[in-house]
Amino acid sequence: MSQLFTDSIVVPVANQADATTTAAALEPYDIGEITVMYVVEKGDGVPDKTPVEQSEQIATESFAAFREAFPTAETETIYRRDVVTAISEVAREIDASAIVFHPRGGSRFRQFLTGDRSLRLITEAERPVIALPNEVSEA
Amino acid sequence: MTESDEELAKDLGLLSVLTIGVGTMIGAGIFVLPGEAAAAAGPAVALSFILGGVISLFTALSASELGTAMPKAGGSYYYVNHALGPLFGSVAGWGNWMGLAFASAFYTLGFGEYLATFLPIPALMLGPIGLSEFQVGALLAAIAFIAVNYIGAKETGSIQIVIVTLLIGILSVFSVLGLFQTDISTLRPFFPAETGGAAAIFPATGLVFVSFLGFAKITTVAEELKNPGRNLPLAVVGSVVIVTVMYGIIMVVLMGVINWQQLGPSFTTTPVLDVGEIAFGTIGIAGVGVGLLTFAGLLATASSANASILASSRINFAMGRDKLISDTLNAIHPTFATPYRSIAVTGAIILVFIVAGDVQTLAKAGSVLHLIVYGLLNVALIVMREADVEGYQPDFRVPLYPVVPVVGAFSSFGLIAFMKPIEIALSLVFVAGGLVWYLLYARDVAEKKGILSQYILDRSETMPPAAVSAASTVQPDGGTFRVMVPLANPQTEKDLITLASAIAKQRGGTVDAVHIVPTPDQTPLEYAADHVDDLEADHRTILDAAERDAETFGVDVETHTIYSHRPFEGIFDAAESHQAALVVLGWEADTNSFSDRVEGTFDELTDELPCDFVVLKDRGFDPDEILVPTAGGPDSDLSAEIAKLLQSEYDSDVTLLHVTDSETEGVTFLEDWAATHDLTDATLQVESGDIETAIERAANDSTMMIIGATERGLLSRLVRGSLVLDVVDDVDCSVLLAERPQTKSLSERLFKR
Repeated sequence: MSQLFTDSIVVPVANQADATTTAAALEPYDIGEITVMYVVEKGDGVPDKTPVEQSEQIATESFAAFREAFPTAETETIYRRDVVTAISEVAREIDASAIVFHPRGGSRFRQFLTGDRSLRLITEAERPVIALPNEVSEA
Repeated sequence: MTESDEELAKDLGLLSVLTIGVGTMIGAGIFVLPGEAAAAAGPAVALSFILGGVISLFTALSASELGTAMPKAGGSYYYVNHALGPLFGSVAGWGNWMGLAFASAFYTLGFGEYLATFLPIPALMLGPIGLSEFQVGALLAAIAFIAVNYIGAKETGSIQIVIVTLLIGILSVFSVLGLFQTDISTLRPFFPAETGGAAAIFPATGLVFVSFLGFAKITTVAEELKNPGRNLPLAVVGSVVIVTVMYGIIMVVLMGVINWQQLGPSFTTTPVLDVGEIAFGTIGIAGVGVGLLTFAGLLATASSANASILASSRINFAMGRDKLISDTLNAIHPTFATPYRSIAVTGAIILVFIVAGDVQTLAKAGSVLHLIVYGLLNVALIVMREADVEGYQPDFRVPLYPVVPVVGAFSSFGLIAFMKPIEIALSLVFVAGGLVWYLLYARDVAEKKGILSQYILDRSETMPPAAVSAASTVQPDGGTFRVMVPLANPQTEKDLITLASAIAKQRGGTVDAVHIVPTPDQTPLEYAADHVDDLEADHRTILDAAERDAETFGVDVETHTIYSHRPFEGIFDAAESHQAALVVLGWEADTNSFSDRVEGTFDELTDELPCDFVVLKDRGFDPDEILVPTAGGPDSDLSAEIAKLLQSEYDSDVTLLHVTDSETEGVTFLEDWAATHDLTDATLQVESGDIETAIERAANDSTMMIIGATERGLLSRLVRGSLVLDVVDDVDCSVLLAERPQTKSLSERLFKR
């Protein structure tokens, strides 16, 4: 039996605004189960750049924002050093049919500084990756 | 959050934290200060370092206990604010923040000195300000460190460990080689008369204390520690012991190889390199040795500065959480995911300090501010122990209580006395700044009160009046009116929140939506917290809905989840600990989710309501026509207040009803009552006959009835369903039952919780 790309998707979000934008971009489509996820970036042996408590707060805000559009979405907070592998990991765990994300753009310089996560996600993921269109302007 | 993720949130092992502590401290003591220190006390400065270490050890023990009890981001600041309240919290927060900025400026200046030994950095004239080559190097370095933290480049734990291991390795080789070159006669006189003899040890301790500012930084990341109960004390105390021993040995080596007078700042800025040249020269690798030490000096000062910048953003976060500074400072960068504003502000301050200060002033100003924080930290420990706070269960307890914190407090404050007046004054400016900041800004917005003031105010009878009045005057006044709404049933959520928000809006207060998750007795509460989705499928939805509904009123809303075996007790405890002024509770006679199990202790509890309670029997929220039956008394005072608030919000028509057989008496009573309760525009209605029938009749024309509980403990019997209040069941409109606690005196109601 064939599986739809959108049977059960994982949606990574980075903050409240990103969650709202992503949810808005996702809204027109017919989707099965949604798991919205947030990665708390860990230092892995050094103090984190952001206090964990603050990251968790952002996760909660982001989930709430996302659930305004998709009240039934599942949520997942994961603590990893590397955002991209964390996304793949969650996708594997819930056996997602696809990873759906909203590229956040940013200048070349900024992408260079942070490492281009969009590119890494596309090339490293073991599952289909769907990028949402950027037309919906930042709310 | 699953259990394994909880583990992953805590990813700092003992070695990692130990290296944070040692790495932060070692940079200053060995690479920047020895010259200045030698000039201050001669060879005896080794004793100054040891004295500094001993003083730090007391505070380190206290910090460990507080850290294991409260593993919270913010460390020292958090404990002081928690125990001593936001007034001292402001002082500690600002003191710690600025102290770290001073220390960072000092570290980077040290970095500049090492940079200048091999890089030809020019001195600069910036308008009227002349910058030495060290300052230029320091500014460049500071900008680099700030940028790294702003962007949030992640070094790995292994790099940190490698750096510190390398440092300790280089210094050990240096010490051993140096010891062979040490000549006891060079160490004489041990207490040179030029520096003031043995008495010079104390002022010199004040100078070198900046070398011990690393241990408390460990507590700022306590929440990230694995097994904090064991690792926190080991790392904090361990790092102090390690660096104290190293400082002691290396000072003896330095001053045993080269006479202390030639180590001073007038001869050299990098005495370690001079001694290193001789020490490594004996095995024919002077150049390599100096190179290694220069490298080590750069690494050490860089890691100190970097750790301080990071720690200051933690303190900002913790202060923002307690509303002592604006939370906008702690906004997270959308791309870099770092607290970029906090880092930028701290960075700017550091740059100013580098331009304005010299090594000594920066070191001492940083020390004084930290000493104030450390002194307060020891006092905080005493308060936590004495107030016997529930939930204060440190895994590590200081030995020999109360000796350790008392000595810690006295030695920390005492050491300040050995600083120069100008350095003390400079620091006092920041302390005063913290006080003024609290009184002018933070007092209106801060919500959290200290254990100390609660302790004093709870014992107002036995405490000296001066202490009581002092404690009550500096209480924060922000968020005084909190309306707590325990939620269990999604159907009634909207009306309860609407009612609560209307009241909160009128009182300029906040809504505190609390989701009560009833937990079977067999289920541990922690387990419930981890598996909330199994217990309550609609867990987040109800709080999210509450948040949305409250936000339509434009009132601030907070949400909490409470797991309790006895939901009612949970509500009472929450009302108390959240300092609620009013609880708005839903009452569903047949489907009451709170009353389906017997709660034996509940009767006792309701004798002492923690605050005002309003119970809503919901038949649709419609405040157009409000009926307030009254016979006087404190509970009907509350009804009147609620009616008044709803009237202001919804422009409701309020009818006051008094049942009596004498029409004239009734009218007089109601007129008086309306006047005292500011409800003169209400319709007055006097009825005679049976009270209940009269109320039912009047309620036919109303959309909502607010009625005071006439008997004590009415509320308890009501929610447990053992009391059938005919009136409430027979009318068709929504009913609000108001009960006000009576046992507490006015002053208790004003000040307590």
